[in-house]
Amino acid sequence: MTTNTARDGASTAATTGQAEPGRGTSVRLQDLTRAFGTTRALDGLSIEMAPGELVALLGPSGCGKTTALRIVAGFETADTGSVLVDGKDISSVPAARRDMGMVFQSYSLFPNMSALDNVGFGLRMRKIGAGERRKRAGDLLDMVGLAPQASQYPHQLSGGQQQRVALARALAIRPRVLLLDEPLSALDAKVRLQLREQIRTLQQQLGTTTLFVTHDQEEALSMADRVGVMSNGRLEQIAAPDELYTDPATAFVAEFVGVMNRIPGELRGDGQVAALGSTIPVRGHRPEDTAVDVLVRPEGLRLEVVENGNGIVTTRTFLGSVTRVHVRLSGDIAVQVDKPSAESAALAPGASVAVSLPAQPVLVAARRVS
Amino acid sequence: MAGTVQAPGPVTGPGAPGSEAAADPGPPARLTIPKLLRGLRRAAGVVPFGVYVALFLIAPLVAVAIGAFQGNDGGFTLSNVNAATHGVYLKGFWQSIILSVITSVIPGILGLMVAYAIVKAEGGNLLRQIAITAAGVFANFGGVPLAFIFIATIGSSGLVSQWLTTLGFDPYTHGFTLYSLLGVVIVYLYFQIPLMVLVILPALEGLRPAWREAAENLGARTWDYWRYVGGPVLLPSFLGCVLLLFGSALSAYATTEALTNGTIPLTAIQIGSFLNGNVIAGQENTGKALGLGMVVIIAVAMVIYVAMQRRAAKWLR
Amino acid sequence: MAAVTQAAPERIAPPRRPRVVFKGATVWRWVVLIVAAVYFLLPLWAALRFAGIGAFGSVISQPGFTSSLALSVRLAILTTLITIALMLPTTVYVHLRLPKLRRLLEGITILPIVIPPVVLIVGVLAIAPGFLKGTSWLLALAYVVLAMPFTYRALDAGLRALDLKTIVEASNSLGAGWLSTLWRVLLPNLRTALLSATVLCVALVLGEFTMASLDLYQTFPVWIYVNSQTSGQVSVAASLLALFVTWIFLLGITVLGTRQSRKTGGGEVTLFTVARTETRGN
Repeated sequence: MTTNTARDGASTAATTGQAEPGRGTSVRLQDLTRAFGTTRALDGLSIEMAPGELVALLGPSGCGKTTALRIVAGFETADTGSVLVDGKDISSVPAARRDMGMVFQSYSLFPNMSALDNVGFGLRMRKIGAGERRKRAGDLLDMVGLAPQASQYPHQLSGGQQQRVALARALAIRPRVLLLDEPLSALDAKVRLQLREQIRTLQQQLGTTTLFVTHDQEEALSMADRVGVMSNGRLEQIAAPDELYTDPATAFVAEFVGVMNRIPGELRGDGQVAALGSTIPVRGHRPEDTAVDVLVRPEGLRLEVVENGNGIVTTRTFLGSVTRVHVRLSGDIAVQVDKPSAESAALAPGASVAVSLPAQPVLVAARRVS
Repeated sequence: MAGTVQAPGPVTGPGAPGSEAAADPGPPARLTIPKLLRGLRRAAGVVPFGVYVALFLIAPLVAVAIGAFQGNDGGFTLSNVNAATHGVYLKGFWQSIILSVITSVIPGILGLMVAYAIVKAEGGNLLRQIAITAAGVFANFGGVPLAFIFIATIGSSGLVSQWLTTLGFDPYTHGFTLYSLLGVVIVYLYFQIPLMVLVILPALEGLRPAWREAAENLGARTWDYWRYVGGPVLLPSFLGCVLLLFGSALSAYATTEALTNGTIPLTAIQIGSFLNGNVIAGQENTGKALGLGMVVIIAVAMVIYVAMQRRAAKWLR
Repeated sequence: MAAVTQAAPERIAPPRRPRVVFKGATVWRWVVLIVAAVYFLLPLWAALRFAGIGAFGSVISQPGFTSSLALSVRLAILTTLITIALMLPTTVYVHLRLPKLRRLLEGITILPIVIPPVVLIVGVLAIAPGFLKGTSWLLALAYVVLAMPFTYRALDAGLRALDLKTIVEASNSLGAGWLSTLWRVLLPNLRTALLSATVLCVALVLGEFTMASLDLYQTFPVWIYVNSQTSGQVSVAASLLALFVTWIFLLGITVLGTRQSRKTGGGEVTLFTVARTETRGN
């Protein structure tokens, strides 16, 4: 599994001592817990980040991902657990001395400074001379494509431009770790896509270990080396994006990442579940109750046009290479089926179809009462 | 002002002599009757306000300005202005200015500290609401009631004076008296600090936490943050507030009147005594000259404020 | 399922970090607040001791109490009505039709703050026509000028929170005329701002001394002053009473207003927004 190889990489870096700034910094979150009053924001979070890796923390709001990030940055302290950078515990190091670069969600640029001065701020704090500062800040603005805007003030820049300046500012200090707190959430869709690529490219170029927090799964899946899905302060699964999609470990991950159909079924004692007229093996966690929902991806369902099938097509949407079909099954169950458009000619609304489950092991979850 | 009035532009167009192949800016905008009428119609909505301001703000000021130069016979004279800038009236101006500067800068700084404490304190919303309403009440609380309350506190037989006496230190035998400039300063703080708090609070809350955190993340300590980010961002508001306090202190009348009964010459009180008729006959318009003087002082203060703002923006780059 | 169930790890958990971090800054902050509280509350306490509880009772029975209070209240109501009747349409109009004038309007409304009321009353008395001079109407009209800055700011803040143009256009497109729009759409949305403006006007008038005394009208503050010559204790008691009533009034309005605005999804009611708030683009 990917985590194993990553762990080996981390331990080698730790034994070699001083890691090169921006290259080869490993980060380890160990058993972090944090409670706000009675709510447990973090419930024993442990993650190992390999040098140069981009790990995304993905989850709904309130799952604890931002808290985790802020603990790494030093703006919050964990109740228990520690953060280790290159093997050293930095939990007691104040935020200003952690040598990490952070990009906030929005409007974090200092309004009284030009873009160039903003980017050079961290360098000023490190007592780097004005000339050198200007040069390095200029280089970084160039890297994010904003050299012409160097003397402009934040209020003169668009949201996307501001975030690029924020990124340049965080990278100017050549941080060991880059932290991104939902940096694209406040931007519109087109800008978001552009920035996504730019961040990823820059990060890979510089080889900076990066922790990226987001609630947008598309963002996480397209940018990260590994994605950690969180819910209620716990890490549900951390794996490479494709593994997350094809092999979700829990029902939560399965439903959070991509679309999942829920089809009622009955658990049988022999580790199988009966649904849609077939019996298939169950994988993963088995709920207590025998009344369950079977979780299947839209492209995982089998669909054929037959007379007197178990369902009727309600809508059909052409999406290019894929056609999305909504089917109402007997028992008033609605499912979404994605099929290659080449095979979908006969799927008009009203058509009678047969929907069946493939023979592979499926995930099940406790039945949701609507 | 209202509507768009543009000077006639150069005549351009294909046939015009000297026209280049550069982009044609379009037909020239000319001041036409319809445009003017339309502009006037649009301005109609603010006419009531304009009339009111003209009648009750501009006209009185003009009357004061004119009266300052009017002799008793109605003719133009500089004697009023002359009287206003000498002797006890000159002293009044000086004292007023000094008093106002002291009671705008000190409460400015103190008020900033209090406001900052309120913003950062963890009492949540309740503390904030209480503090704001208290500040609102105290800012408007001045004049006679305030003077009396302080007399009851640190007057010669005030509560605190008595406490200190029983502790062995009677302030009044050591030269302190409430009925002096120092006493007036102490009392002025009572409404100047809340005014400062009220006015600077929104500006303080406008300091985004993200700025503080970003600065920290980049290695800034508390001092660095205030020096490079917090201070510069806050400075314009702070200066504006101090100006407000200056005007407020200069205008304050009742408090000092009640405290000092005219023993300390202050311009505001001197003007008042003209209206009360406690003046030498034949010098009525001197009061108007004093009034004009006050307006001039405040105008100068505003000019200084604008200049300082511009300069400060450059310093802190 | 794989047998991954293990016994709870028998590690020694690392020591729990203390939740309350005692920073120097926090201590300093509370010191400031406590000193401020003492400075503001001690004089009140001293005044209370000085006046004695008995004085409060006799305040109400003093000659001139009711008449001066009634005058002040009347002036307050009058001033508030005139001010709002003047400022509301103007501010709405400027916001809607003449946005370029906003700066000018702001500048004009700053003037009364920096023009000393003493000077103003001198000028007003100099130009007032005879028929107005003897009435309290003159004073009310002059008060409107004093109230202008705060009223404008309260209304301006309230209007800026609305997307005025869009709301008015939407209202018009659904068939509402101007009066209807003003009454049914704008006023309800400006309730908080209007409340602030009202409270500020009332507080201002109830506390105003300079102009009233020089215009020779015995409003409540003037009455307190005049009365002080005879009985210091009663005056102090009256002052405390005025302060307390104003405070209760403001607090009540703020709480009520906040509850009201929370119902409609607004934030808390801020009475005093004299400084310009930076627009938080979103």
